[in-house]
Amino acid sequence: MQPIVIVGSGVAGVILARQLLKTGNDYQLTILEAGPEVRPGDYRIWLDQLMARGGDLYSAFLDDPSAENEEFGLRGSRLFVKGGTTNHWGGLTPRFKPEDFELKSRTGFGVDWPINYEDMAPYYAEAEILLGITGDSENDDPPRYGAKYPFPPTTFSLGDMLIIEALKSHDISYEHMSIARDGNRCITTGTCNYCPVNARYTALYDLTQLQDEYDDKLTLKTGTPVTKILMDGKKRTRGISFLDLETGATNSLEADVVIVCAGTIESAKLLLSSATKDWTDGIGNDSGHVGRHLIGHPVMDASGVRPGNPDKLDRELGFSSLISRHFDSPEYQHKGKMWFSGDVHSNLSLEQQILSNVSRPDMDTRMISEVRVSLGGEMEQFESPKNRVRLGGGITRHGLPTTEIEVGVHAINIETRREHMQTFVEILKAAGCTEDSIESGFRNPDGAHASSTCRMSSSDADGVVSPTLQVHGMDNLYVCSNAVFPSIAAANPTLTLSALAVRLAEEIAGA
Amino acid sequence: MNTLYIDRRCLLKLGLSSSVLASLPFACISLTRDVSAEFLQFISNSDLPVDEMRTGLLGQDEFDALTTLSRYVNQVWELGADMPLYFGRLRADLEFKTREAPSYLTEYENAVELFNLVLDSTSGLEQAWASLLFSGLDVENPESTKLGRARRFVFAELITHQIPVSGAFKSFGLWNYGGYFGGSYTAPESYRKGAV
Repeated sequence: MQPIVIVGSGVAGVILARQLLKTGNDYQLTILEAGPEVRPGDYRIWLDQLMARGGDLYSAFLDDPSAENEEFGLRGSRLFVKGGTTNHWGGLTPRFKPEDFELKSRTGFGVDWPINYEDMAPYYAEAEILLGITGDSENDDPPRYGAKYPFPPTTFSLGDMLIIEALKSHDISYEHMSIARDGNRCITTGTCNYCPVNARYTALYDLTQLQDEYDDKLTLKTGTPVTKILMDGKKRTRGISFLDLETGATNSLEADVVIVCAGTIESAKLLLSSATKDWTDGIGNDSGHVGRHLIGHPVMDASGVRPGNPDKLDRELGFSSLISRHFDSPEYQHKGKMWFSGDVHSNLSLEQQILSNVSRPDMDTRMISEVRVSLGGEMEQFESPKNRVRLGGGITRHGLPTTEIEVGVHAINIETRREHMQTFVEILKAAGCTEDSIESGFRNPDGAHASSTCRMSSSDADGVVSPTLQVHGMDNLYVCSNAVFPSIAAANPTLTLSALAVRLAEEIAGA
Repeated sequence: MNTLYIDRRCLLKLGLSSSVLASLPFACISLTRDVSAEFLQFISNSDLPVDEMRTGLLGQDEFDALTTLSRYVNQVWELGADMPLYFGRLRADLEFKTREAPSYLTEYENAVELFNLVLDSTSGLEQAWASLLFSGLDVENPESTKLGRARRFVFAELITHQIPVSGAFKSFGLWNYGGYFGGSYTAPESYRKGAV
């Protein structure tokens, strides 16, 4: 029996656990989660969410209010709970493109990945099955090499057509969104923030199933923030120590292998807080890269009002079916690539209008008189040398060290997002929105897609983990989170992280 | 028409201002120094319905009272939903809300009590619900009053449930709406699809 500890119950930890257990090897897995349990697919929880229109289901799992950081927000972007941030994710799952693995070679910015798209392609295909993704298998940008999505894409909605016509008028390409919605389960109820039928992938539901399937091989400990990686000399870990939030006691757990799947911020902090006499600046940090190079996705939003809505367009599907990766191409890479999506919806819900005592004739008039068109996009961020995560001096309500963050936005990103925003404005005008109704705004990157604080590299001089995610200089310690991404591309990171988890499981099982 | 006598202090506890009262269909309620003993007893009870641990099932009378809100909304806003069909689902969903903690049982009982009180003092269901839903709440913290609490946790939530679950949104030309079980996204009728 080989004891393995996984730190964190988010998507990386759960996919890794599933893949390891599937091998049939004699593993004894323990997953430690700082946050508490929550029930997946529970009708009462869903009903509360529906009737209160959102409520505060996840507020207890957010960062402390003190974690607010104007330049790089953490509170609201990540969750400390069984299943991690997939509990509130949108489920968007684009692959990175081949050029994304060659950022330095192609643009001079950042670094290249030590692996390429060809290396990742088979793992992307497997991760797409595991996450239950709907997508267009005929779309070969990036190349799919014949791999099929498990579920067909959603058909564009009637509302999407308004945006599609606007895109066509500007020769901007568009495609079907690939999104983690199980096509056999989804009932298009549109309350995806807490799915009543577990159609949207969550590590919460996946892990709950895994616990049922492998109850003798897998242990989940919740409310147990890991505080330190325990060492046996310089090259080997012997396990971890953790805090039991219920009793306040500090305990330890021995393991042959430790895999840190605690997200970009906490994974780096755990290495930093585990400093020893052999690793004086933190494990894997002899070259000073742990916590450095923090990046995420700057966000752009714009919306406007289109007078006249004879087709009574409104949000009907409840999740995105349209994406444009037109600016996510090699031609735009040197300026900062960008993807965006769009939505057509009314300003005020039907129930809000009734509760505001708007009469039925007035509601009917409103319905056909105007509609709001919204666009939202994310762009690739180039790292700034000063970007880093460090340990703060306190302890959070989740029992973890507080976080200090220093970040800056690269000048190229600031310039390019202005260009992209101008494009948004032109698209909205082409969709019929009046110029004076158009509102737009930028948001700095936040913890949702935070990356690169333990980046992958061929040598320890350039990063923290090897191409197989092993911490440089360590035999049995791995990091599997967005922290290992050398760059973030213009694509949501979860699919790429899941593919890396599949690949790492294969590596560990074969070792 | 019955007249309910009420003083200003009691009025405020209910969450209504005298100026708003004068402009709304609460004409049946008169300001007076004489206070109905029954009413005073009711509104003087400062224990708001926040006993989340009291579980159980809503009685038929209470359920029927709450369904009058659904009927009122369906009728006034011409939603055209099949109400008997909807009430089956509503009954089951309210059981989910009351049979385990945190329970809404005391919230619903409070709302029904308010409804019955106002119904007794008005000329009918439509006037009662118009008053309960839309009369002004001239207090700093509306949820510190029984009416404010009922509005947020019962009336607003029931209407928010009714629009999708009863299919009422369809009367506005929509095929799907947040909270409605529209079926598989591959089904032709689950949402309006565009032709590409």
